[in-house]
Amino acid sequence: MMEDKKELEQITNCAMCANMCKYSCPTYLATGKETITPQKIARLILYKEKAFLEDQQGFFDVMFQSAMCGACKIHCIYDNYDLRKFIQRGRSKAFKEGMLPDETRKRVETFASFGNPHGERQLLQKGTGDLGYFVSCSAYNDQDLLKAMDRIISVGKKQIYQFGGADICCGAPLYYAGDTEGFEKAARKMKGEIENRKLRKVIADCPTCIKMMTEVYHEVGVDLDVEFVHTTEFLNSLLEEGKIKVKRRNATATFHDPCILANDLGVTAAPREILSALGFEIKEPVYSQEDTHCCGGLCGARIGDCGVADKVSTMRINELKETAADVYLSACPTCKAVLSDIDMKDIAELVSEQIIDE
Amino acid sequence: MNIKTYLSQKGAVPSEFIEKVKHIVGEENVSERECDLISYSLDYWLYGVALSQYGNLPSLPCAVISPKNREEIQGILRYANEYKVHITPFGGGSGVLGGAIPLDGSAILNLQRINRFICLDETSLVAEFEAGIIGANLERELNHRGYSLGNIPQSLHCSTLGGWIATRAAGQFSTKYGKIEDMVLGMEVVLPDGDLLDIKPVPRRSVGPSLKDLFLGGEGTLGIVTKAVVSVHPLPKGMAKQSFVFPSIEVALDVVRRILRGDAKPAVVRIFDEAESERYFEEIGNKVTVIFASEGEPDFVALESNVIRRIAEENGGEPMGENPVNIWIEKRFDIGLGPVIMQQGAVVDTIEVASLFKDAANLYEDMITSMNAVDGAVMVSGHFSHFYPEGACLYITFAGFPKDLFRYYEDTWTAAMQATSRNNGSISHHHGIGYWRKQFMQQELGVSGVELLRRIKFALDRNGILNRGKLVDDGR
Repeated sequence: MMEDKKELEQITNCAMCANMCKYSCPTYLATGKETITPQKIARLILYKEKAFLEDQQGFFDVMFQSAMCGACKIHCIYDNYDLRKFIQRGRSKAFKEGMLPDETRKRVETFASFGNPHGERQLLQKGTGDLGYFVSCSAYNDQDLLKAMDRIISVGKKQIYQFGGADICCGAPLYYAGDTEGFEKAARKMKGEIENRKLRKVIADCPTCIKMMTEVYHEVGVDLDVEFVHTTEFLNSLLEEGKIKVKRRNATATFHDPCILANDLGVTAAPREILSALGFEIKEPVYSQEDTHCCGGLCGARIGDCGVADKVSTMRINELKETAADVYLSACPTCKAVLSDIDMKDIAELVSEQIIDE
Repeated sequence: MNIKTYLSQKGAVPSEFIEKVKHIVGEENVSERECDLISYSLDYWLYGVALSQYGNLPSLPCAVISPKNREEIQGILRYANEYKVHITPFGGGSGVLGGAIPLDGSAILNLQRINRFICLDETSLVAEFEAGIIGANLERELNHRGYSLGNIPQSLHCSTLGGWIATRAAGQFSTKYGKIEDMVLGMEVVLPDGDLLDIKPVPRRSVGPSLKDLFLGGEGTLGIVTKAVVSVHPLPKGMAKQSFVFPSIEVALDVVRRILRGDAKPAVVRIFDEAESERYFEEIGNKVTVIFASEGEPDFVALESNVIRRIAEENGGEPMGENPVNIWIEKRFDIGLGPVIMQQGAVVDTIEVASLFKDAANLYEDMITSMNAVDGAVMVSGHFSHFYPEGACLYITFAGFPKDLFRYYEDTWTAAMQATSRNNGSISHHHGIGYWRKQFMQQELGVSGVELLRRIKFALDRNGILNRGKLVDDGR
C-alpha cells in the first residue's frame, strides 16, 4: 500500500505518534473504540504492509469504519500528511479482493447499472449560459432545496444552466468504495458532461462533489479547466453584490459545518455571513467550523460501516440539539438528510424563504 | 498471528466469562479480533512504541471489553472475580510507563465509551464528567461555557480525565491551578469486587483518611473511576507573558523561589536549560531561559507581572520579552520528532522527578551527568516546571542510538533514579509508576511502604484481578 520510502516513513510516524488527533475523530468519539483512532488505523496499515497482520477481513472492516471526514488531517502534528490516502488504498485492496461491506457492494452494483449510486433517474437540464449549477446525487430528490435554488436563481436574475440526474455523477461513491478503475471512468465521463456543456464555472451543492472534481480527479489523471464554487459561496456573493435582497429575521440559528466543506474546502465563513445578513443570531455548537464533526453520512451513499455511521449521526444530532436554536441548517444535502431528526434545512432554503421578490 | 510479544503471552479467557460479559455489554462490545487486540496492546510507553514499528508488542490482551456505564463495569468485575480473569483498565492509552499494558493475559476494560460531559455548577464552580472523556474534549465543553479546568498536559489531546486521576497528572499551567489531585472534589469508583464507592464533592472534609486519595494515583489497581467532579475556573480575561535569561540554572531556580515567596502565582513557569533553550528559542540560543505566563483578572495579572519582573531583574535576569512564551505556546504539543528519530533506531523518553528547592540544582546536574555517561546517549536535556513554594518538578528528555536498545534504556533509567535518590528527590512528579517504574518503588517508599501499599491493594482486590503487574503488584 506504500508507493515509496517516504510514504512508509509517514505512516510509521503516524503509527508511533501519541494519537494527538484522536479527540477530533468523530467515529472514535461516537464509539469509544481505540481501534478506529487515527494512530491505531495507521498501526494496522503498517502491520498489513509488513505482513504482521493476519486477519484480512478485520483489517478491511476497520478501513470502512472511517468517516473519511479529514478531522485527523486538520489536527495532525505533521505537515502535508493525510491518513485518508492510506485508508483509501486499504479500501482499494478490499475492492480488489471482493471484500466490501454488503451495503457498499450493493451501491457499487447500482452504480454499474445506472451510473449513479441511487438507481434510475431522469435527466435534469434547464437554463442557459456558461455558469452551471450541478445538482448532486444527494440533492436530486431534495425538492425543497431544488425549489429554493430555482427561486434564488430566478430572483437573482442569473443565467444559470442546471444539470444533473440520470447517470451524471462525480463518481465519489466508487472512489470511497475503493473502485479506482471505476472512479477514473466516472471522472472522465463527468469531465465530458461539463466540457460538452461548455461551462466556465460550476456551482455545486455537495462539498464532496467539489472535492472530487478539484482534488481527487487530478490523482487519477483527470483535470478540469473549470472553476467550482459551493452554493454557500455563490449565495453569499449574491447577497454581497446586492443581486438579491432579503428580509431580516429575529431568531437564532445553528449551522452544522459539513466536514468536507470545512476540512477540505476550507469554507466556514460564507454560511455565517449569509446567516448574519439574514439577521440570525448564530448559536455555535461545541464542535463547529474547523472542529466540526461529520454527520455520519458515509460520503452520501452509505459507503462504509453503517453501524458506526449511525452512532456518529446520533452523536452529532445531540451536539446540535444542545444549542436549542430556532433553526438548524447545513449546506450539504447528505448532512441535511442524515440529520433530519432535528428538522435540518439547507441554508439555500432559508435564503429562499427570506428573499424579497421585487 | 505474526506479532511477537516480549513481556507476557496472550492469555486464554474462559468462554463462559466471555458469554456472560457479552450478555452485559452486548456482543459488539466484546472483541477477540486481532485488530482490536493489537490496538489495546500498548499505551505510550516509549520503549514499547520504539519496538512496535517492528511488530513487537509487549503483550496482547485476551479480549477487549467496552462497557458504557458503571453498572456494566460492576457486572464485568463480578464475573472477572468469579472466573479469575485479570482486567487491565484502558483510558486514553497515553500513559508513558506502560500502566495500560495488558500483562499476564489480562482482558482490556476499555473505558472510552464512558465519555460524557454531565453538568456544570456555575455557582459552586464545579463540573462533572464521565472519566473516559479526553482532556481536549473536556476543555472544549468547559471553554464553550466560559470556563476551564486549568489542567493542560502535553497529552491533553489523547489522555482522559480518568487517566489523569489514575496517575496524579499535572498540566503545564499547574503553578497556578495545581495538579489533578487539587482539582478533584468527588468521584464515583467501582471497586474491584464490583461494589460502588461514591465520594461526594465538597471543598474539604474531616472524615478520617482521604479515600479519594486511594484512587488519585491508584493507577487502576484499586478501582475503576467512572465519574468525577472537578473544580473549574472562569476563562481568564487577561494574560501577561514575559521571559528572562539567567547565567545558570541555580540562579534561575533561586529567582523563581523568590517570586513564589512574594505570593506571585503565575500559571506557567518554566526554566529551560541551555540545550532545551537552544532547541526552542533560536534567537536566544544556548542560555538558561525562564518563561512566565500570568493569567486571570487583568488587575491581578498586571500586579503579578510587576512582581515577577522586579524580582527577576533585581537578581540578574535579562528581559527577553513575550516572544519566547509565544514560541513555547505554539510548540508545546509538538511531539513529532520522537517517531521520526525512533524510526532511525533511537529510543527517546522523558523522566520527571520532584525535589525541594534546596536540592533542585544538584539534582539537575547529577541527573544530566549520570544519564549522559550511559553508553549510547546522544542527548540529555531538562527543564523545571510545575513550581511550588517548596520546590519543583524536574523534567528530563533523553535520546540514545545504542547498539543494545534495552540495555541503554534500562541503564539510563537506573542512572536517573539513582541520581534522584542521591539528591532526596521523588522518583515521579506526575507520570506515575505503571509497569516500568515499578522496579524503583522500593527506593521511593522503602520496604515497609511498598508492603503497606501491597496490603491495601490486596485488601481491596482479594483476587488480584485489577491491573496486574503495575504499581506494587507483582501478581500472586
